[in-house]
Amino acid sequence: MKDKQLTRRDFVGAAAGVAAFTVVPRHVLGGAGQTPPSEKLNIAGIGVGGRGAGNMQALESQNIVALCDVDWRNARGTFKRYPDARQYKDFRVMLDKEDKNIDAVMVATADHCHAPASLAAIRRGKHVYCEKPLTHTVYEARLMAEEARKHNVATQMGNQGQAEDGVRRLCEMIWAGAIGPVREVHVWTDRPINGTNKWYWPQGVERPAETPPAPETLDWDLWLGPAPVRPYNPAYVPFKWRGWWDFGTGALGDIGCHAIDPVFRALKLGYPASVEACCTLVNHETYPVAARVSYEFPARGELVPVVLHWYDGGMRPPRPAELEDSRRLGTNGALFIGDKGKILNGRLIPEARQKEFGAPPQKLERSPGHHQEWIDACKGGKPAGSNFPDHAGLLAQVVLMGNIALRPVLKEDKYFGTKLLWDAKQFKFTNVPEANQFLTKEYRAGWGL
Amino acid sequence: MKTRRESKLSRRGFLGTAAAAFTVVPRHVLGGAGNVPPSEKLNIAGIGIGGRGEGDLDECRSENIVALCDVDAKHAARVFKKYPNARKWADFRKMLDEQKDIDAVVIATPDHTHAVIAMAAIRRGKHIYCEKPLAHSIWECRQLTEAARAAKVATQLGNQGQASEGNRLVSEIIWDGALGTVREVHAWCNRPISPRGIERPKDTPPVPATLDWDLWLGPAKSRPYHPTYTPFSWRGWWDFGTGVLGDIGCHQLDPVFRALKLGYPTTVEACSSNMDEPPAVREETAPKASIVRYEFPAREGLPPLMLTWYDGGLMPQRPLELEEGRKFGEADDNLFVGDKGKMLGYRLIPETRMKEYGKPPQKIARSPGHHKEWLIACKGGPAARANFDWAGPLTEAVLVGNIALKMEKQLYQKGLKLHYDGPNMQVTNLPEANRYIRDEYRAGWSL
Repeated sequence: MKDKQLTRRDFVGAAAGVAAFTVVPRHVLGGAGQTPPSEKLNIAGIGVGGRGAGNMQALESQNIVALCDVDWRNARGTFKRYPDARQYKDFRVMLDKEDKNIDAVMVATADHCHAPASLAAIRRGKHVYCEKPLTHTVYEARLMAEEARKHNVATQMGNQGQAEDGVRRLCEMIWAGAIGPVREVHVWTDRPINGTNKWYWPQGVERPAETPPAPETLDWDLWLGPAPVRPYNPAYVPFKWRGWWDFGTGALGDIGCHAIDPVFRALKLGYPASVEACCTLVNHETYPVAARVSYEFPARGELVPVVLHWYDGGMRPPRPAELEDSRRLGTNGALFIGDKGKILNGRLIPEARQKEFGAPPQKLERSPGHHQEWIDACKGGKPAGSNFPDHAGLLAQVVLMGNIALRPVLKEDKYFGTKLLWDAKQFKFTNVPEANQFLTKEYRAGWGL
Repeated sequence: MKTRRESKLSRRGFLGTAAAAFTVVPRHVLGGAGNVPPSEKLNIAGIGIGGRGEGDLDECRSENIVALCDVDAKHAARVFKKYPNARKWADFRKMLDEQKDIDAVVIATPDHTHAVIAMAAIRRGKHIYCEKPLAHSIWECRQLTEAARAAKVATQLGNQGQASEGNRLVSEIIWDGALGTVREVHAWCNRPISPRGIERPKDTPPVPATLDWDLWLGPAKSRPYHPTYTPFSWRGWWDFGTGVLGDIGCHQLDPVFRALKLGYPTTVEACSSNMDEPPAVREETAPKASIVRYEFPAREGLPPLMLTWYDGGLMPQRPLELEEGRKFGEADDNLFVGDKGKMLGYRLIPETRMKEYGKPPQKIARSPGHHKEWLIACKGGPAARANFDWAGPLTEAVLVGNIALKMEKQLYQKGLKLHYDGPNMQVTNLPEANRYIRDEYRAGWSL
């Protein structure tokens, strides 16, 4: 099917109930390149089924001018909701054709396409909202941060939890010394466990042997994008790509950028000194069924070194002694262990300690909302809380390093149980040369960064 | 095809072919104290001989192997051939009833039949060597321990690692204070013992003619035969096996229990890859991966201790003391964390610490060999070191971990660790967990 050939003029004409003057894109106005706060942004979505549909709704106070998805069945709800937006399958075509009409781009494709789509937009000077994890590889995350800074565009990663008051209160409690110096943090998710609800997906499985035809509504070659070619299978799309090395980033990639974000902020983390992992049998196709990943962070100014343990697939830290009977640990949670106390899922334990402590002094400004932060930034406001250069790029790099520690190469005889030592200056692991290949990946011809 | 059932060698026939006839007179013929004199040979029966049982019998070859019993003639064929003079049986009950010359039995069946077999033998005054874990349930462990003690038979659990030098060094190094006070131990096993985290198969292939499936099931609930259970891969199925923890725990935790004088844990907490699997998975098989955390109370002047068990590829964080470039965790191992040092297996880390430290004073007698210990005990010598008075409580403690695994979801939802009263075999804070203390037996089966 051909991309819808609505022209800019048609669009303006067709936009019902929208004052025409608001849709003149910023570069037509010339000047500093920001849309004035009084005007609306022209936003394009790439990957608009699934999570992308939710993002578009959160952004629909602006003009949704173009929608791109390789799976028109999965995208049909969003297409229907924005009947005036032009429809595309190939983001490259869309960016070419709509270059003059688009101010900002929302990217919610499968992980392996985040960077190609986002970078193409950034390099055209578009503002970018990109789902978490920011990228598929560590190198991509670094590059996205660099390019966003260079092109001076407004960015935001899709870890919307960062906008909540809870993260701010957590930081404020820890900074107020509620638990003393923090040397140990545990973060966990119950994902990816198979089949118990629609948010879960398989890991620890082999590539399916069957090769059913791709549905007509799906452009499989475009879905693959930069990834090595393989036959279509419903095991990958929609949604279940998360468990596959070639497309997703596993439970850690999916949830890590959400769940580790508050740890980064509260403890002012940067690159780790090391990362190590243990897990169930892991193959070259999918992430393991269950894992623990541990990062060691060096001292940061006055902050003491801290170890961050990540668990997934049903693994959890021990119930802290301070947790009262009958209170759950949480299927997804975070436990901060300080010299003077513990914070579980944002509250001091036991609850009596929290009651005693009360509210910490407010030091952080509250958010107008995660998507609104980005809209404001696009219009010349201050950078969004999870912008790529200052925060999300680094957070995603660190999260994705954990996945390198899960690679089968680390399970080879000579490396079993090895802790990867990270040299940030050289941007490489110093003790396992084979691990460095996974900082980046090979791109299919025509899809390079 | 010749059936393996009750091959009709008579005692007389057997005697005729035995090398030195006088050695095979069973002890009860001689009367007296009930022990075979050291100068004589024991008459040993092997029950469950196809897998590990063969190795156990090999270790007892100095004695007379007079009977072999297995429900799977195909799996046992090689061993039947190896001992042509032994009488062959399929049903241990029949063997024990009919073959009167047996002094001692070696049991290496799947876990779910250890207890019924061992108890039948103990009641007849036979000495018992039983593979680990001692039994399938805590209640069975307790019954066997008490019955063996009352019958004064010689017993040994099949955790042969206890006879090693390393096992003794663990205790001697810790007792010597080389680690200071130990409050934390990590033990892990990465063996992919058998399929786990799966549902019961739906197909029902026919039972091989060489297998007595009903006898294989023994006291367990009836279910259709499937090759996913036997031979070998029963360990992951809760009705038959005890998971990786039951399989390896009795080996690997033995030195921990000895060195740190552990008894029953007071609390146990488990998390696993079964957590959110449907009941059809988590109530059928052990998880693909798990972490089980035991708390032991203060005892004999030692402070409380946390013992963490990992399997399925999980293990503790690499200790800082371990030299760069040294592999970590690939094999089953134990990490002892003291306030003055750490020990991996039975060596202090880093290795320079070990070199510096040298050897602890020897406080534990060395073993003549694990099976030999038992053979000596059977002949009136000192009790074997993993006799049931030791092995029973050890296995009970290991198996509480499996209860925490089976109840993981319920415990999580109720916001509890499992609280355990060891002497009374009771989970005190989650009554429904107690159904796993004792297995329900199929009609016709009892201890």
